[in-house]
Amino acid sequence: MVKAVVGEEAQLKSTEDRLSSSSIPAQVGLVIGKLSSSLDRGFVFSLIPTPPNDEGRPACSLVEPVKDDRRKGAKQSKSQGSSDSSSVVIDKDWVAEHARQVSKMLVGGIRVIGIYVWASESAFKNSTVELCQTIKGVAGAAPPLLGTDTEERLLIHISYSPRRWTCRNYVMASNITSSSLKPCDFKMGKVLSSLQKFRCTYNFNLRLPVNCEKTFDARKLGDVLRSGISVIAKELRSARAIVDGNLVTDDEPCTSEGFHDVELLLPFMNDTCLEASSLENVVGILLFSGSVCSFAFLSSKESILQAIADIKADIITSLQSRLDIILDEADADLSQSDNSCKESSPDIQTENHISQVDLQSLRKPTGLSFPRRVFAPWLAGTFICDYLQPSETLEVLKDHCAELMSMEVLTDSSNVLEPEGEALAVVAKGFWDVAAPLHSDSKSLSEKPGADTKSEGSSQKSNKQSSFNTVAAILVLLLSVLLGFLFFSARS
Amino acid sequence: MEIPGVRVLCPKLVLRRDEPCLQWLIGSPFFADPVAIFSTFRCLHSRSPGDALALDYPKESEDLQVLLMKGFCVIGALVVQRDGNAEQMAGHAVDAARRMQKLLGVDGFGGKSEKDWTIGAVGDIDSGDVHFFSSSGESPKSLKAVTSVIYDSDPEKYVWEKGCLLRCKLPIKLPFYFPENKKSDAVELYLSTVGAAAEKFKDPEVTFMVETLNKANAEAPQPVIFHAGDLDVDADISNVKLSSQVAEDRDIKSLPCSHFCLESNPGTKSFSAENADIIEVTFLLNGSRKSGETAAPVAVYFPVLEETRLSVLQFKLDVLCYAPKDLPLVSAISKLLIPGVVDQLTAMKNAYVPNLLKDHPRLHPYHFNPLGMLHPITVIYDLSYGETEMSQVEVRRSLHMRLGLPTDRPLLRISNSLYFTVDGVKSKERQRGPSLLKDVHIGIPSSGVSGGVTSLVQGSYEYYHYLQDGFDDSGWGCAYRSLQTIISWFRLQYYTSIDVPSHREIQQSLVEIGDKEPAFIGSREWIGAIELSFVLDKLLGVSCKVINVRSGAELPEKCRELALHFETQGTPIMIGGGVLAYTLLGIDYNEASGDCAFLILDPHYTGSDDHKKIVNGGWCSWKKAVDSKGKSFFLHDKFYNLLLPQRPNMV
Repeated sequence: MVKAVVGEEAQLKSTEDRLSSSSIPAQVGLVIGKLSSSLDRGFVFSLIPTPPNDEGRPACSLVEPVKDDRRKGAKQSKSQGSSDSSSVVIDKDWVAEHARQVSKMLVGGIRVIGIYVWASESAFKNSTVELCQTIKGVAGAAPPLLGTDTEERLLIHISYSPRRWTCRNYVMASNITSSSLKPCDFKMGKVLSSLQKFRCTYNFNLRLPVNCEKTFDARKLGDVLRSGISVIAKELRSARAIVDGNLVTDDEPCTSEGFHDVELLLPFMNDTCLEASSLENVVGILLFSGSVCSFAFLSSKESILQAIADIKADIITSLQSRLDIILDEADADLSQSDNSCKESSPDIQTENHISQVDLQSLRKPTGLSFPRRVFAPWLAGTFICDYLQPSETLEVLKDHCAELMSMEVLTDSSNVLEPEGEALAVVAKGFWDVAAPLHSDSKSLSEKPGADTKSEGSSQKSNKQSSFNTVAAILVLLLSVLLGFLFFSARS
Repeated sequence: MEIPGVRVLCPKLVLRRDEPCLQWLIGSPFFADPVAIFSTFRCLHSRSPGDALALDYPKESEDLQVLLMKGFCVIGALVVQRDGNAEQMAGHAVDAARRMQKLLGVDGFGGKSEKDWTIGAVGDIDSGDVHFFSSSGESPKSLKAVTSVIYDSDPEKYVWEKGCLLRCKLPIKLPFYFPENKKSDAVELYLSTVGAAAEKFKDPEVTFMVETLNKANAEAPQPVIFHAGDLDVDADISNVKLSSQVAEDRDIKSLPCSHFCLESNPGTKSFSAENADIIEVTFLLNGSRKSGETAAPVAVYFPVLEETRLSVLQFKLDVLCYAPKDLPLVSAISKLLIPGVVDQLTAMKNAYVPNLLKDHPRLHPYHFNPLGMLHPITVIYDLSYGETEMSQVEVRRSLHMRLGLPTDRPLLRISNSLYFTVDGVKSKERQRGPSLLKDVHIGIPSSGVSGGVTSLVQGSYEYYHYLQDGFDDSGWGCAYRSLQTIISWFRLQYYTSIDVPSHREIQQSLVEIGDKEPAFIGSREWIGAIELSFVLDKLLGVSCKVINVRSGAELPEKCRELALHFETQGTPIMIGGGVLAYTLLGIDYNEASGDCAFLILDPHYTGSDDHKKIVNGGWCSWKKAVDSKGKSFFLHDKFYNLLLPQRPNMV
């Protein structure tokens, strides 16, 4: 239960200045920060206003009750809408969507932890239910992960006259009651300057067998990928960690400055996806490999184990976000191609489309590359991230930052981090190359794009390859016999 | 060139003097001058029976590969013979040892250098005297007699003061796919699957976590991490500098094994494999180190058009290695542990092949350190049908032969195996619950039989009596308690690994064999000697001899028979019959005078497990048939049944 909340003074003050200098009667936005259940504390890093919705209307507006509206219609526009009976109306779905999009841009240890509202004291009091529903929507859009998150969200109210900040703690429950909101201490201080910084690269190489038992309903590649990500999540949960070269054994905060390098250690050759030992029929195999670059930022009071949990959560979130992006775009593509004539537009079949195809209809290896993660500098040495498809440029990042985070990013500057390269093309030709790797294994399965990318293979191809290997082995054998002969004759 | 001396550490060089044979001499690459002989294994596989020198090398090497842990190796051979030219025989022994070294030779330190000496020894079958010869790799044909031979008086200290054990427990799972319609390809696919797995042990993404097993100790050092990149897999042993030679540098690469060994105060520590320092090594896959560049994820789905099956192969690898304490850990891991793991996987791989597409054998490695051996050995048992199955009995019997162990005692059962616990104490007995008093008869007053010969139970037992474990069986449970004492004897002699059964379990097994009605379970009915024999047969497969006497007065007549039982069988006897049940632990009998006393362990004791109380109360004491007051211990108007469990002749 979070009892005390600290807000980053510089950030909150500038938000307050911005709001008070504007003449907006009401505003809603997201609270970005961290709730720590182990410390019973909340940390607020920043407040981000929700942009106007697709129709160009603000996400939040003040309304007077209908009868009042008629009586004092003229009055409303005059002052800042400070009628005692007014209340705020929020486009809840839009705020939730904003939270969903922003969550994708946050790295480990930083989350959407609630909403703030800029409104008069009375309007705030009159809108409790509306605000609770909005928080619920936001919480649903950025769900807790790996059990690291609390079941709480913050509601910060910035009142204009008197100018006052109040914070309430919303405990998630199925129905909204008056007890859902509990007041908690709120003060301003320095949060961001003392953050602990962690970074990690996680490489994975999952080979997930797809069996035929579960294929009554058409299974899509997207579904298999989702289960693949949950396998990775399960593996990560048990992973041990090295921080700055030392195995993490006890729970102490990191004291040194700068970035701490986290390495994740997984069970050796003990794939969690291989549970059953019985014989199963297999219809295919999913090769899912690559790297995720991850950052986590934590308050100086939080423990190193929390940092590792946040890094793990960030890795999984990042994979899920990328899959969501692919599936969203595939949905968009589908509806587009439904509108247009299907036959006449073969080029509309983008790669993302593949995620929606029934696996049973696939006869050839079929793949899709995940977007790469890029990082832009954010507050006080932290980062926010975005995902770029191969065709996209940093302009996308710029747009997203401006639209969702209301911040400017200089894309031409060198401070955008691009640690992940484009996804590599898979060179494995067919099922058997992946399922029964020969001794010269794994790492040769992917190579840089530009080489042979089109996979056309079938089992014939793999047979060819194995016969090539036999030939090679015989050659090596002959050579070694020859060498041995030379060696012996030289000795004698 | 100086011939190195020989230091014989094993207590018995010639294992058996029944027939001529060849024995492998086991040494260690770390003890080359003087050449230390740690143990000797008898050669079992010969191509023609009777000819000790016609060996089946491939089979022998297969066995030795599993049996010998890394850190030990074949350094020579010993021919046990009756007559013949000693030097010529020693030459044959050296040749055999060299051939074997070549077959085994791929461990990290096995690259036999030219300078190494191979021992050829000749033992006399009648006297047991052994003569040593040595031959160097530089001039393989010349044989030189070894002049300096030391027989070590405290070999345990020599072995364990300088060395420690590395242990790696590594259960792995491998997916194995094969096409349904082309089963013929399955074996080939299988071999390449396991082969690829073996390669992975050398993968640069492997990370090793090294920690001491003795975590209970507050001063236990923190675990240390090694990356595969730190290991110099290709370096030669001769280039590896022991840490004593390296100047004080704190580089992790030179961290010696002794970092994880407990500092022992001289004299306080007993040296044995059980008390050795054990360093636990865990293989982990480092998800954050990669040689190539970092690239965003990619997913490809590969459908398979033919009908294909997936079978998950499980290998429970468990490897022990012996390493000198001053050896750097990186060398110990790369030169000993990884080759050990790969070899064990290879050995298990071959066992799978015949049943590849059916039920897989349940293979499990165990480590043993039987009495008289200086170092543990490793054995892989197939537990598909339990350890009492005939083929497993044969496996154990030949192992007993190979190690020179008696063939009528179980010494290599699973219950004998070394058991590694987290607190670093490894014991052979897996005790559960509070431990019971053992061998209560030790230290009791003497029988008072003058000139008698005492014959006692051989080996330990536990004292079971009324009201134990909070179970009220006063008045009816004495025979059950006597049975529990007998079964505890079989447990402690490693004839069985089953737990001592409760009253209910005893009743249950009597119902199962049809001796009693189901209502018997949970009742408070007495059981007698005959029921005990049924239960012993069912639970342990032990048969019993029964002696009946019509009157207690006849019992002293049976003394000679009972004394013989203790001499040959040595099992506790249960006395049942008309009234009360007792456990008989020994006989003191003067054949000339006929005077005799019975060592009675009384299950009717209801007090606490206090040895003094038990002895003072006479609950475990010598009873004369007729005591000094003229009172008979065995009632004359009652019959008695004596149950004599027969020691199974098995391994």
